Amino acid sequence: MKIINPVYRQESRAGARSFKLPLIVLAFNSVLAVVALFDMYTMITRVRLTAELQYSSFLGLYVFAATVEFVLLLLFIPGITAGSISGERERQTLDLMLTTRLTGADIVFGKLASSLSTVFLLIVSSFPILGLVFIYGGVTASDIALLLLCYSVTALLLGSIGIFCSAVSRRTTMATVSAYCLVALLTGGTIAVNYMVSGFMRMTSVSAEPSSGRMVYLLLCNPMAMFQAVIERQAGTEGGLSVLLPQIAQARETGRIGGGWWLWCMLFQLALGALFLWGAVKSMNRRDRRRRRKL
Amino acid sequence: MLKIENLKKIFGRTVALDGLNMTVEDGALYGFVGPNGAGKTTTIKMIIGLLTPDDGRVLVNGMDVVRESRKVLARIGYVPDSFGIYDNLKVSEYMEFFAACYGIAGLKARKRSQALLEQVGLDDKMDFYVDGLSRGMKQRLCLARALIHNPPFLIMDEPTAGLDLRTRYEFKEILKDLREQGKTVFISSHILPELAEICTDIGIVDQGRMVVEGSMDEILEKINVTTPLMISVSGGQQTALQILRSHPYVETITIRDEDIMVNFNGDKQDEAALLQQLVDAEVQVYGFVRERGNLESVFMQITDHGEEEVVLIHEDH
Repeated sequence: MKIINPVYRQESRAGARSFKLPLIVLAFNSVLAVVALFDMYTMITRVRLTAELQYSSFLGLYVFAATVEFVLLLLFIPGITAGSISGERERQTLDLMLTTRLTGADIVFGKLASSLSTVFLLIVSSFPILGLVFIYGGVTASDIALLLLCYSVTALLLGSIGIFCSAVSRRTTMATVSAYCLVALLTGGTIAVNYMVSGFMRMTSVSAEPSSGRMVYLLLCNPMAMFQAVIERQAGTEGGLSVLLPQIAQARETGRIGGGWWLWCMLFQLALGALFLWGAVKSMNRRDRRRRRKL
Repeated sequence: MLKIENLKKIFGRTVALDGLNMTVEDGALYGFVGPNGAGKTTTIKMIIGLLTPDDGRVLVNGMDVVRESRKVLARIGYVPDSFGIYDNLKVSEYMEFFAACYGIAGLKARKRSQALLEQVGLDDKMDFYVDGLSRGMKQRLCLARALIHNPPFLIMDEPTAGLDLRTRYEFKEILKDLREQGKTVFISSHILPELAEICTDIGIVDQGRMVVEGSMDEILEKINVTTPLMISVSGGQQTALQILRSHPYVETITIRDEDIMVNFNGDKQDEAALLQQLVDAEVQVYGFVRERGNLESVFMQITDHGEEEVVLIHEDH
């Protein structure tokens, strides 16, 4: 009989007992609910004042709520995953696990699965809040499904980054800091590079179009770029996210990827996540090179 | 059961193991002794595959630890110097988690856990959180955890460190039971009298090398000549000291009231000659005996790297 990954099972059990999980779910959904309900309240107040009903503003509510949830995921996931393996090392239980039949891959995937369970719980528990948009229409169930897919890919990528940092760092603090740095590099870093290159290109050419040349493909690794592509596919440019990354819009016009930007982003980010997981497993198998000297 | 051949490990500029050789027979209770930094933990981590040797090899039941690590690990139970426990799990859950790590699940895992917890005297604590256990109980739980897959070879790194006398005694009894069950136990410890009492074989490691290895009797036999010579005098102590200081085989001299304890590096004939010399010098000798060696004295002598010179120490009471 093939048993469930013991690391996943143990983590889920211990996690369910901890006060941390309900606290995270509460904090995540509270922030999301407060901002979504406030946005809805301001819209309805405006309708009362002007007697003008703009259905596009309800689509704006969807974009706003989805964006807030996405940003919260960006902030939560590295924190949830970064302590998973380094915590075992600090508790001195990692050596015990490595002397059993478990392989480095078993431990890495068990930890990832357990962290992703928490993230999916966050996503699923936020459905009622996202469901606000169904009151006035404009968003279909398939749109929500695509958004869910986007969140899942983001969770996988960021989770893999967190697990990788946790596997290579001896201390949880170090793992957390490096995970957030990597996420910042992947999101803000790639955008900054694109802005710098497009600024430089604007200075040296007569074109006013915000293009960063081939550097725009760096954004394929950026979860924010994927999210923008998904949202714009659903809501057009009304959400105003294209202001953030105008280079993508330009690349869609002239580049090879065209309208399938969101799909390529997902594929690239899944591949990048797999690369980080591979690194984490390799790091677990090369554990003795990093071991503190103890004679 | 275990054979270590020319094991070497270097960390940066520090030589942790420098050609260590060791043999542990089936069914032995092997005491692995050495001062801090001698290479005990490094050796243990190489046996369980957590460190890879720079040179040499470790064989468990004839299988190379590096090449056949999974097969080897299935035959080893490991108790580290730290507890390695999850505070937010219950005792039974902790056991079942490690059972699952060895591929044992369901009813089999529960039965095995229960039997082991009974063996270590924790069967009434199955529903307690690990966090609530005392230090001694945690250590017994670790031992039960290490036995969950019924390994024939148990490796323990300083298992009784920090435990009180009663817990140590109970732990010792459990080890004796395990040996009676036919398990081979490899135990590293600093508490030498305990090891001498329960171990069938001892290995003393120093500076990454095996210095002495064998049964307790063999070791005492090997180092018998270096156990202190106790000379009791009722008169002429100064004369005796003058003779001893100038004697080529005398390494250290310790004075305890009327007794003079001498580290004498000669054989029985040399002892007889020394006694004759003292008597001829009119020293009133009423006792002249070589103390019986014990593991502690052996350990101290073997791991003493000080200059060998005649030192006079007065022990005041």
